[in-house]
Amino acid sequence: MTSEVREKKIKTNGIWLNVADKGDEGEPLVLLLHGFPETWFSWRHQIDFLSSHGYHVVAPDLRGYADSDSPPTHESYTVSHLVADVIGLLDHYGTAQAFVAGHDWGAIIGWSLCLFRPDRVKGFVSLSVPYSPRDPNLKPSDLFKSFGDGLYITQFQEPGRAEAAFAKHDCLTVMKKFLLTTRSDFWVAPPNTEIIDDLEVPSTLPDWITEEEIQVYADKFQKSGFTGPLNYYRAMDLNWEILAPWQGYKIVIPTKFIAGDKDIGNEGANGTIKYVKGEMFKSIVPNLEVVVIEDGHHFIQQEKSERVSQEILSFFNKLRNITE
Amino acid sequence: MEKIEHTTVSTNGINMHVASIGSGPVVLFLHGFPDLWYSWRHQLLSFADLGYRAIAPDLRGYGDSDSPPSHESYTLLHIVGDLVGLLDSLGVDQVFLVGHDWGAIIAWWMCMIRPDRVKALVNMSVEFHPRNPSVKTVDAFKALFGEDYYICRFQEPGDIEEDFALVDMKKLVNGFFTSHNTRPPCIPKSVFKYLPDPPALPAWFTEQDVCFYADKFSQKGFTGGLNYYRAMNLSWELTAPWDGLQIKVPVKYITGDLDPTYHIPGTKEYIHDGGLKKHVPFLQEVVVMEGVGHFLQQEKPKEITDHIYGFFKKF
Repeated sequence: MTSEVREKKIKTNGIWLNVADKGDEGEPLVLLLHGFPETWFSWRHQIDFLSSHGYHVVAPDLRGYADSDSPPTHESYTVSHLVADVIGLLDHYGTAQAFVAGHDWGAIIGWSLCLFRPDRVKGFVSLSVPYSPRDPNLKPSDLFKSFGDGLYITQFQEPGRAEAAFAKHDCLTVMKKFLLTTRSDFWVAPPNTEIIDDLEVPSTLPDWITEEEIQVYADKFQKSGFTGPLNYYRAMDLNWEILAPWQGYKIVIPTKFIAGDKDIGNEGANGTIKYVKGEMFKSIVPNLEVVVIEDGHHFIQQEKSERVSQEILSFFNKLRNITE
Repeated sequence: MEKIEHTTVSTNGINMHVASIGSGPVVLFLHGFPDLWYSWRHQLLSFADLGYRAIAPDLRGYGDSDSPPSHESYTLLHIVGDLVGLLDSLGVDQVFLVGHDWGAIIAWWMCMIRPDRVKALVNMSVEFHPRNPSVKTVDAFKALFGEDYYICRFQEPGDIEEDFALVDMKKLVNGFFTSHNTRPPCIPKSVFKYLPDPPALPAWFTEQDVCFYADKFSQKGFTGGLNYYRAMNLSWELTAPWDGLQIKVPVKYITGDLDPTYHIPGTKEYIHDGGLKKHVPFLQEVVVMEGVGHFLQQEKPKEITDHIYGFFKKF
């Protein structure tokens, strides 16, 4: 299937992104934004499915990843940079308004796109990561302190730390630790433990991914490393500063949120699933549908590929007044 | 002037000093460099009389508002964030916006990224130019006007502050506000050693006005205001998402024919021959005031009030 996917380099916002696309360029454009630590390959099922159902599907390797450029410092990885990269892609394809789906960090980029350029988004599907109200008095690094040093986000802050921890394992093992995780906590490691050492590799692969597919990721990260991807986390406080003008902003663009009930941060009373079904989320994203997939974990568009593909298709089709 | 209320509002992590007076629809006035709420002293009183609530903050870095130390805290997004927070704390959904100089730049960008918070805009002196994706803002000025151009001279932290400190503060204030020199301000270091005495104060800028500014800037220094210039290239990076987007708020633009901004090569054609309108499609009126320099709202307070009121009352 991925042999029919075209890949090319596109210049946008001063950098070169490697972009996969498939489908008829005359059809409405769907932009797919991957998360951490992934590549466009995470969307392989949706690329195939959506392109055979009337959409031109575009999925970049995001800034810092795989075959795309990796500017050296974290200051070049703010949501401003990432959204401008995406706008440049839409401009390249001559698309005034796109359907957008984002997972994990790709969802954060999608939410930011809805804040900054609502004029460019017809509808948005967010996987895993909801839109949260900005706390004007609490920046992210202070919020994370309350989780202690074990929190993966905290461990990702110091330049070089996570890179060194990851390097103690081969890339295939690193990818298995992430992709195959079934943990639903907030990814907090015990004292004096790096999260990469705490994540476990299951003894057998689940049925939704093969060794060869995981090797695709491993090969990419072997070449490009993890600093680019980790820089997204290192820019979180900057993002908080940048987002001040959108304090309290309601996103009125039609939105669908999809997550597995066993995704990261869904354990316990104050998990993500509770939040997305609650009044607070609805009040800031009023035009919202929520889908919770049973037995789904973090890398949901791979683990439950058919379901996620259908949910995305039906949502975008509905916005185009197409019913199957 | 005594009727003007002075309050401190907590917004976007800073304490902001705000001068306000009157009741009714809110008009928010944004000063420039090196200026203060005080620039709008005449308009604050007139708009209160006209049935508006007139509000003029000291922007971040100025006067009695906080001055975070690093220039990285002075991007367009920080300042617009301050103003959105200010409006939220006042419970105001939409404002009439007036900007001058740096305040005009902030106003353009507030309209670009939060058009939902602005009913209409009257902007003075500095017109809107879209971002050039190929060259950073300060680099472009350096290429055009050289490294002694004031924007370039303002870049290095501490450098221009040292030059300003060589000059008596009142003489500096007089020089800033009353000069009708229309040449692009190039200020090599030598200029500060042998600054001629400025001419006598014009009628519109009294000794009291000079003292007000001299006191505030002696207390506070110029670094806060200079940080806006030092953050220009960073703002350029961070405003990339809005390349190509038009400003969709009704606008009236006013400048003086002795404003140095009006004399930057290409500006007259840009303003009058459709360049500005292309990026600001709801630009409804353009006014060039004869014999007026950069600080229009102080030089011709009544005319400026009439221009602003004449525009806002349409909405």
